[in-house]
Amino acid sequence: VTARPDPLIHPIARLSICALLASGADWVEFAALRDAAGISDSVLSKQSRVLEEAGYLQVRKGAVGRRPRTWFRLTAAGRRAVADHLAWLVQLEASVSARTPVEVEDRVVGEDRAEPSCQLPAGVAAGESLPGVVEGGKRQKPLRKVDAVMM
Amino acid sequence: MDEAAGDPAALELLRVQRGRLADRLRLPWWYQAGAALVWAVVFAGPFTSRYLPRGMPTWPVFAAAAALACLLQWCLTRVTGIRLPFRNLRSPSPGRPVGIAILVIFLAVGETERLLIGGGLIAAAVAAAAVGVAAELACLQIALRVNRRELRGGGPA
Repeated sequence: VTARPDPLIHPIARLSICALLASGADWVEFAALRDAAGISDSVLSKQSRVLEEAGYLQVRKGAVGRRPRTWFRLTAAGRRAVADHLAWLVQLEASVSARTPVEVEDRVVGEDRAEPSCQLPAGVAAGESLPGVVEGGKRQKPLRKVDAVMM
Repeated sequence: MDEAAGDPAALELLRVQRGRLADRLRLPWWYQAGAALVWAVVFAGPFTSRYLPRGMPTWPVFAAAAALACLLQWCLTRVTGIRLPFRNLRSPSPGRPVGIAILVIFLAVGETERLLIGGGLIAAAVAAAAVGVAAELACLQIALRVNRRELRGGGPA
């Protein structure tokens, strides 16, 4: 992988905003960007401010009647950063998809060979809780012994 | 905001989001009706220059058509929430062939009308103007489809 990721646009909300603005449109309105990215008003406001402060985003505020309208566009620096980051993602996807069939095959063969096990992980006594599992960025309820056996 | 985009599935998500943005780019009925009116006025040019009394200026009609075209574009931008970049015919872009087609149809129909009116074939000239309006509207639809494909694909090819 030769292209490099940009830590500023690495979070998915910021990447979505930048990638949508880099997709061929000149200016995109707040509501259109929010709906396309599937994020809330507050997330878009917060992340757009971060991108604007970094010099990646240009913001134009106006009003139609009493309704405020905010328009966004990428700056030249923002376009370069998004292009580099997307190139890195494409390379990452290509490398992962090139590796995946072998890994999947190995895992299937390994599972076939392994004996079915209902043993608890070492250090977990009966009735004790397992440590919480981080899934989708949120800490889940700690697993109990019965759940661990079922997994 | 800790969720990172290092996952290659992020690319698939971006494709879906671009598709959503591209789907907003649709022509409302009033835009098509307005565009038909603008082109009808433009193709009525050869008739007005020939049949209007001498000394009567035709430029107010064309100025009104240009103003209506600008107004339509402004309304479309407000409705869709997407403003596309302006590109002249010299800059290479996926929409360039359609832009050239619009120009060629405009020139060809205008010249055909002039020849037909000169030969006294008024009905044929009116038919040519109608065909010209239909062709320009078709080009408009194709241009929009090209823009949608460009948005979906993530930029100019």
